[in-house]
Amino acid sequence: MRSVPRVAGGGADSRDGGSLPGMPAPAPAGPPPERRRPLDVAALIPIVRRIVAARVPDRATADDLVQETLARVLAAVERIEPGMVEPYAIVTARNVVATMWRDQDRQRRHQHRVVDLRPPQLPDEDVLAEEDRAAMAEALTRLSERERSTLLAHEVSGQDTHSLAAELGSTAGAVAAQLNRTRARLRVEYLLAADRVEPPTPRCRPVLLALSSGDRRRQREVDAARHLLECEVCARLSEPLMGRGRSRDDEVRVAVHADADVVAARQAARDLATRLGFSPTDLTGIATAVSEVVRNIVRFADAGEVLVELLDSPRRGIRIIARDSGPGIPDVQEALRDGYSTYRGLGLGLPGARRLMDEFAVASEPGRGTTVTMTKWREDA
Amino acid sequence: MTVGPRLFSILRQGTCLIASIHTALDDSQLLRFQEDLIATIGRDRARGVVIDVAALDVLDSFATSTLRDIGEMARLRGAATVIVGIQPDVAIAMVRLGLRTGVLETALDLEEGLALLGDRMAGSPAARR
Amino acid sequence: MSTEDDQDTGEVAAGAAPDDEILLPQLVAHLREHRNRLRQEWVGRIDQAHLLQAMTSQEVAAETTSVYDNYVEVLETGSVGALQHYARDLSERIIPRGVETDEVVGIVLLLRDVLARSLFEKYQRDLPLLNRVLDAYEPAANRIANTVAGSFVDERERVIRQQQDSIRELSTPVLRVRERLLILPIIGVLDRERARQLTEQLLTGIRAHRARVVVIDITGVPDVDEAVANHLVQTVDASRLMGASVIITGLSPEIAQTLVMIGVDLSRMDTIGDLQGGLEEAERLLGYTVTRDSEAAGP
Repeated sequence: MRSVPRVAGGGADSRDGGSLPGMPAPAPAGPPPERRRPLDVAALIPIVRRIVAARVPDRATADDLVQETLARVLAAVERIEPGMVEPYAIVTARNVVATMWRDQDRQRRHQHRVVDLRPPQLPDEDVLAEEDRAAMAEALTRLSERERSTLLAHEVSGQDTHSLAAELGSTAGAVAAQLNRTRARLRVEYLLAADRVEPPTPRCRPVLLALSSGDRRRQREVDAARHLLECEVCARLSEPLMGRGRSRDDEVRVAVHADADVVAARQAARDLATRLGFSPTDLTGIATAVSEVVRNIVRFADAGEVLVELLDSPRRGIRIIARDSGPGIPDVQEALRDGYSTYRGLGLGLPGARRLMDEFAVASEPGRGTTVTMTKWREDA
Repeated sequence: MTVGPRLFSILRQGTCLIASIHTALDDSQLLRFQEDLIATIGRDRARGVVIDVAALDVLDSFATSTLRDIGEMARLRGAATVIVGIQPDVAIAMVRLGLRTGVLETALDLEEGLALLGDRMAGSPAARR
Repeated sequence: MSTEDDQDTGEVAAGAAPDDEILLPQLVAHLREHRNRLRQEWVGRIDQAHLLQAMTSQEVAAETTSVYDNYVEVLETGSVGALQHYARDLSERIIPRGVETDEVVGIVLLLRDVLARSLFEKYQRDLPLLNRVLDAYEPAANRIANTVAGSFVDERERVIRQQQDSIRELSTPVLRVRERLLILPIIGVLDRERARQLTEQLLTGIRAHRARVVVIDITGVPDVDEAVANHLVQTVDASRLMGASVIITGLSPEIAQTLVMIGVDLSRMDTIGDLQGGLEEAERLLGYTVTRDSEAAGP
């Protein structure tokens, strides 16, 4: 068997292996342009066929896939380094087979949707459950073998962390930590699979993972908040993940969609601030500032989020971060001036809130959104 | 007499209306309060309105401008408006925010507010009392 | 640390692995054993240095005993928690007596030295061992000194803050002159913090006394600049929101003019030259309503 398909030297037509059945002539037979290297495609056939046949029992399908593979190799031949054609063909063959599987799988999974369109409205529980199962199965396949088997052993077979640790030559604590990470990943992969999306950017998965694991340090590292404003896919997917890691009781998150959320946000801020012993005057000032800032979200951005957190250093205080993914403020300086108003308020929203707080910052990007960060310190803490 | 569902109440007392807000209201609820109150003023031909805001946790720019709108609309319908029950901390937050009630009159509480309305109505040429 | 071995018999360290784990308990045992003698010596040194003169000898005896015991406990447990607690407690007791920070630091350093000298005497025949004992002792002793001094300073600052607060409260009394009329004479510098407190007090006073008119007299405020004037404007506005009218007195025409020129909006403030005039105006305002209620008063 030839190990490496030779590239014939010179410009000779090297299609010496006969034509490929059922395949359009891959290249003009005439004198090729300089950069075109003649290729002994026929030499690839045995190995490609062997690879495909090993995976696909049905002969007709296998033939199709061999053709497909060769077509792809020929199409790419100009980009392939001499000497790399055979490995490239092998990889391509595998991919083609996998793609077919995926397509079949997808078809199978989507079949119910075709059916689903006919009976109107009523969400069919079975269908939902089936989708759910499919998404979970898909998510599981995206875990590594080790992650998957450990998780299943624990969750399904009920094996405890100690015996798992013994098997894996690890400690119970490490296994528990790994399980937590795996669950976090599984949640992310499940959401992606259920939504049938691939994350549009390389930052998406790390951000979702950080949210899923509730790891605040990690979330800061990957600047999760910023990313959620910028990435629609993640913003949508992250909603069920947002509640994670809320074991901390020194912060509150309020999603903002409607009028009523303005009241909810300012009350959440007041409640949290009360714990630091702010005076009634300061508490009301904080609540009022939150009210102004959050109203802007409802008015201009439709949706956003408010994070209220207590601070320990450099002093005790409370910080409010109000984010939205709205149209942004074209001129922040202008917006901070008294009298700026684009709605039926008194034009005191931002400048007024700034006067009520100790620190106040607005970051805004037109088309991207606005983040208002404001802090009130305890006077004598 | 109109009674909103627990959020606020509008009661009639002689030629005056006493409008009490019972809890923190969001913007839509404030607007509904405004509508109900103005409708009631028109229907009852009220000469004066006392709005008790003691239960409002916050009087921000929207709430204040709503109150001012109410005052203005009530004036056009021939009724004087007095805001009562602004708490010390709320008053401080309002002035730091840069808010004033403008032409609206304010009084300490319901009793003072009614007394003030009495003065105004007696002082005005059309006073009947 | 354990580079050299003891060649001597070293009666204390005999057979013991010479590291902190053994040294410190030995040290602690030694300090416990000679507690009375060492404490007496310490008190003597305190006396010589003329420290804690504000306290009676019984008090000094009691406190030094506690400090000594706490001190040894820190060496033993390595935890300063209890000592910190005691130091704060002690500070609370002795600060009102006028004990100063340097005295507190001084006595702790004296104790450190007394104990160090006793260790020196005990181990002087075995210099390498002595070195190790001191190596183990000194960091702990310094930590103790820091803890005590830190607690004292914290406590002292807290007391000072408390005193400042009460002075502030005293300096802005809200006086009720008659039914519905308050006077707020402000004396001294009006900074941000004080202006904040003043406004809060006044508004609370308005509510408590159901005041209709307030006279704020600023004759005693040395500098009426833009900031002060803006504080006043805010106070006037907030009072008005609570239904009270405000009259400012003691603002000279010259200053008023300057304020207007730099852009302070005085139009919303009712200003009258002196307190007497302000009170008359207040009576008039009140009288206007009182007359209607047929309870004639005022000019």
